[in-house]
Formats: sequence, C-alpha cells, structure tokens
Amino acid sequence: MEPSVNKLQTSLGRIMLQSPITVASGTFALDNLKIVEQNFLGAFVCKTITRHPKKGNPPPRLFETEAGLLNSIGLQNPGLDKFIAEDLPVLKEKLDVPLIVSFSGSSYAEFAEMLETLEKQEGIAGYELNVSCPNVENEGIAFGVNPDIVHQLCKQLAPLTERELIVKLSPNVSDIGMIAKAAEEGGATAISMINTVWGMAINYQNGKSMLQKGIGGYSGIGIKPIALALLYQAAKVIHIPIIAMGGIYKWQDALEFFWAGASAISLGTANFIDPLAVQNVYAGINAFLQERNITLSDIVGKYELE
Amino acid sequence: MSKPIPLYIKREIYSSTELTGNYFVLRILDEELALKCKPGQFFELRAAKMETDCSLPKLFKPISIYDVTKVIISFLIKKRGSGTNSLSKSTTTDLLEMIGPLGNGFPIVSGRNVLLVSGGIGYPPLSYLYKELIAQNQIYWIHGGGGSNDVFPCNEVWTIDGSYGNKGMVTENLENILTEKKIDLIYSCGPIPMLKECFRKASKLNIEQYCSLEAYMACGIGSCYGCAVPIGKNDQWNYLRVCQEGPVFNAEEVLWNLL
Ligand SMILES: Cc1cc2nc3c(=O)[nH]c(=O)nc-3n(C[C@H](O)[C@H](O)[C@H](O)COP(=O)(O)OP(=O)(O)OC[C@H]3O[C@@H](n4cnc5c(N)ncnc54)[C@H](O)[C@@H]3O)c2cc1C
Ligand SMILES: Cc1cc2nc3c(=O)[nH]c(=O)nc-3n(C[C@H](O)[C@H](O)[C@H](O)COP(=O)(O)O)c2cc1C
Ligand code: FES
Repeated sequence: MEPSVNKLQTSLGRIMLQSPITVASGTFALDNLKIVEQNFLGAFVCKTITRHPKKGNPPPRLFETEAGLLNSIGLQNPGLDKFIAEDLPVLKEKLDVPLIVSFSGSSYAEFAEMLETLEKQEGIAGYELNVSCPNVENEGIAFGVNPDIVHQLCKQLAPLTERELIVKLSPNVSDIGMIAKAAEEGGATAISMINTVWGMAINYQNGKSMLQKGIGGYSGIGIKPIALALLYQAAKVIHIPIIAMGGIYKWQDALEFFWAGASAISLGTANFIDPLAVQNVYAGINAFLQERNITLSDIVGKYELE
Repeated sequence: MSKPIPLYIKREIYSSTELTGNYFVLRILDEELALKCKPGQFFELRAAKMETDCSLPKLFKPISIYDVTKVIISFLIKKRGSGTNSLSKSTTTDLLEMIGPLGNGFPIVSGRNVLLVSGGIGYPPLSYLYKELIAQNQIYWIHGGGGSNDVFPCNEVWTIDGSYGNKGMVTENLENILTEKKIDLIYSCGPIPMLKECFRKASKLNIEQYCSLEAYMACGIGSCYGCAVPIGKNDQWNYLRVCQEGPVFNAEEVLWNLL
C-alpha cells in the first residue's frame, strides 16, 4: 500500500499546516471547539488585540442582509497585557494547532512595541497584522490603504521576528496588487485577504440604519466574488503565500480560492451559518483531492482564463 | 483537547402547535438535553429545511426555553421575520438545528416575595422560571402585550389597546403592586423600554431585580462579540455578551442610558 500522504498539507512560509483551513479573526474562539474538532484546522487565528483595551462600538452591532452579514464590533478586546496574562495561557493549553496572533496598532511604534512584547511569549507561530486601524501619524487614515505605509510597517517589523509575519489586507482600496507587493517587499512572509467590505443597511420603514454606527463591515456569501477577484489580482504580482477569506462557506468555494492562488483559506461568517463548516469544508476538499489523486499544491494558483 | 461536546445537534420536531396572534409552540424530545436546561437559558434555533428552502442559509435565532418536562423541551415563538417564520413552517419529521443550552439563566431563590414582569415575547423564559420557583416562593406575575392576541396566563394582564385585561403599559401600576405584595425580588423580560421603566420604579424601593436582555446574535456562543450590551457601574463598565455573560443581568448593573 502507498504510504498515506496528507494531500491537504500546505505551508505558510515558515509554518507547516496540516490542514489548509484556518479561521478568520473575530469569528472563531476556543468555545467553537466545543462544536468543531480542532484537528481539521491548520491554524487558529485569534481575535485582533490592540495595545490598550477597547470597549468596541455601541449596539446593535450586527445585521444580517440578504446575502451576508454586517458588523460593527469595533475591535472589542481586553488589550495586550490582559491577553498575555489571561487568554494566551489558555490558548496555549487548549490548542494543538499553530496559533496566529492578530493585532493592530495606531502608530509604527505601537505595532513594534506590541510585536516585541509578543516575541517574549512562547507558543505563537505567527502574527497577522490587522492594518485597518487608523494611523495616528498619517492623519488617521488606515495603515492598510496606502502602499508606502504598509511597506514602512513591514520593513520595521520584519527584522524583529523569525515568526510568520502576515499582513491582512482591506478590500476597500483602489489597487490591491500594489499594497500586496508593498507588504512583500517590506518583508511580510504571507498575506491574508480580505477583511470586510464597507456595507450598510437601512430600515425602509423608518429610515434608521440597522447598525448603531451606520456603516459596518460586510462579510459572508455576498462578498465572495469580490474576494476572489482581489485574490486573483494580488496573486499575480506576489510570490509569498496567501491566506484567502471572504464569503467562503462550502468546500466548493474554498477550491475556487485555491485555484486562484490561495495557499490556505479562512472561514469567518461561515462558522455562524454552519457550525460544522470547518469539518465540512475539510471533508469536501479531501474527497475532491482523493478522487483525483492529487494534492492541494497541484491546484494552487493553477486557474486558467477561459 | 477532548472531542467536542454535543452543543450543536439536529433533532426531529416532536410537535408544532399554532396559537393565536402569530405565536406557535415547538417541542422536541430529548431526555439528556432536557436535564441540562435551566430557566433563563436559550437555544440558537434554525429550521433545518432553511438550507433547502432558500438558496442562502441564514443565521440561527436565539429562542428561550419555554418549558421542560422530563423528556420534552418546548419553545414559544412569535413569527417576526424570516427566521421565526421558517421555524413556524417546520412540522413533525422536519429537523430542527439547535445550539445549546446557552447563557447563564436566572438565579433560583427560595422564601421570597417574587414579582415576574413580562412583555410580549418576554413571557416564555419567565414561564419556565415560574415553574421552578413556585414551590418555594410567593409569586405574582404581571404580563403586558399589544392586544388580546399577546396575552398569556398570569395574575394580571395589561394590553396597550385595552382589548384584554387592564388598558395600558404593564408597568403602570407597578409601585402599588410592589408595596401591596411586599415584593422583594423582581424578574423581568421584555422590550427594553419596559425593562427600563421597571428598573426605574423598583430601584427607588431598593428591590433586587434581574432582567433578561435581548440582542441580535450571530454565533450565540461568545465568539463574535456581536450581542454586547453595556454592563457595570458608573465609569467601570464594559460591553458584555448577552449570549455568554447573559442573557440575565442584575438590572442595577445595566447601563440603561446607553441602551
Ligand atoms: C436570549 C433571547 C431569547 C429569546 N427568546 C425568544 C422566545 O422565547 N420567543 C421568541 O419568539 N423570541 C425570542 N427572542 C427574540 C427572537 O430571537 C427574535 O424575534 C428573532 O431572532 C427574530 O428573527 P427573525 O429572523 O424571525 O426576524 P428578523 O427578520 O431577523 O427580524 C425582525 C425584526 O426584529 C428585529 N430583531 C431581530 N432579532 C432581534 C433581537 N434578537 N433583538 C431585538 N430585535 C431583533 C429586527 O431588527 C427586525 O426589526 C429571544 C431573543 C434573545 C436574544
Ligand atoms: C463578527 C466579525 C468580527 C470580526 N472581527 C475581526 C477582527 O477582530 N480582526 C480582523 O482582522 N477581522 C475581523 N473580521 C473580519 C474577518 O476576519 C474576515 O476577514 C471577513 O469576515 C471576511 O471573511 P468571511 O466572509 O469568511 O467572514 C470580523 C468579521 C466578523 C463577521
Ligand atoms: S452572539 Fe456572538 S458573542 Fe454573542
């Protein structure tokens, strides 16, 4: 008999993943492992943390549209110190898969300070930089919308770590390829994309917005074609691995993203719609690869233009 | 980490009963699950046929536990939008997707003079609570609804249109009830304005009170932070999750002005 090979194995630069399925920051916590078996996961990405605690936005924070979800959570989190003291030990104890810590800062120095603090902790395989926070040094525009700022940020952070350095890109930009390239040239070892798309919903009867904040982040099924197109554009110009997300719900969706160039995928909103999404997507991809007797790497980036 | 506990399950619907005024009762049969339930807890529910009914499956909906007997768990639900409507269309042999039991539940007491205040679809969790408290406590229950279609068995009914019971808001005569019945503990569940008014009146008399809050939910298990409400004291507060730290909160700790 052939020695059993894991057809789903993939790598993110410096880390090997036994499964190409990860979870999108902010949508999956340890409690989800009361429902889903973690050995279907390639890596666990925690909710974004910031230097100081953040209360988040006033409710209502959620609204489900015809095809996807609007949220304005506002990065509610306990802050770096409490994360390290209380959450990290539990994550390290409970997780058997690599832990990727998502964090965000408001200045280059804050990003660097957070990274240096996290570097002193064991049990972290990589970082995902959420560059959606406003950058105080650049008139409050988000880090992630400007290639020069993304480049600067990566250049400052890359020398500080041997761990995987992932930059998470926002779709709300005019040229995603330029930003992905800026991250790569700055020293990022992987890209994850996409974060939520700006969206809004209004109660047609009384004119009130469905979220207290008005505009929120749109995720889920409705953003899949957007995410796929942006991935395709970014994959054309960079050589580092990409973790793709945005509306992936079924295994068939995941395969589309692999063809388009993703080395791994993340499930976000899908976890709310199908509590067993991680398992179900894994099983589907596995069956597909087994049936054709190919491995994941045989299809990554092998899309063809009709 | 050990194998996941069965928090997410699919069960056949044992019965579905239409009531007046857009309400219906769903029942499922599961002795093991019934043993785990506590008053004030809820389930995230979805009609399994939602997956085939519409091309796009939607979020689960939080629904309180209405009643638990030895083997049967019941839910009293009002048709409000697509989620609850599709639940109402499920019949026996259809599957119900369930996540739960979730949330903290009401504190169970004994030897107290208890007032239950419910409004609209705030009735079901208090009904289950009533059953658990009645042997050990004196209970008086007031319920308010829009009209005669929104009333359920209790001691005193209020309707906004006056079509049944007393005309007005359920909290209208609250001060008198509190003193006459020597109430020392209140449990409430209903619309925010009702809960606010109940708190405003009862807190003047320093009466201990617990309320069950509603929030729009995505995960129901504490991972998305979508259901957060402001809880704490003065400037020492934070957004806590209705699905995890709630849905029952000490009314004194809810920052009502921020809701
Ligand atoms: C802990 C908890 C326990 C509950 N218990 C029960 C119960 O026992 N029986 C019952 O009938 N209902 C209960 N509800 C309310 C129920 O969850 C909502 O009515 C339901 O989610 C509506 O979903 P829908 O898809 O039918 O309507 P939608 O189309 O989602 O909504 C219809 C309207 O209701 C509003 N709405 C929807 N969900 C909520 C919410 N959670 N809070 C405030 N407004 C909302 C929407 O903005 C919209 O205006 C409970 C809610 C919570 C949080
Ligand atoms: C409720 C919710 C919370 C989120 N929180 C974060 C977060 O803290 N950090 C982050 O980088 N992205 C966050 N996101 C974005 C997701 O990680 C993901 O990029 C996005 O939802 C697109 O993927 P999806 O369509 O599979 O959900 C959040 C999304 C949702 C729905
Ligand atoms: S609904 Fe997700 S945290 Fe409560």
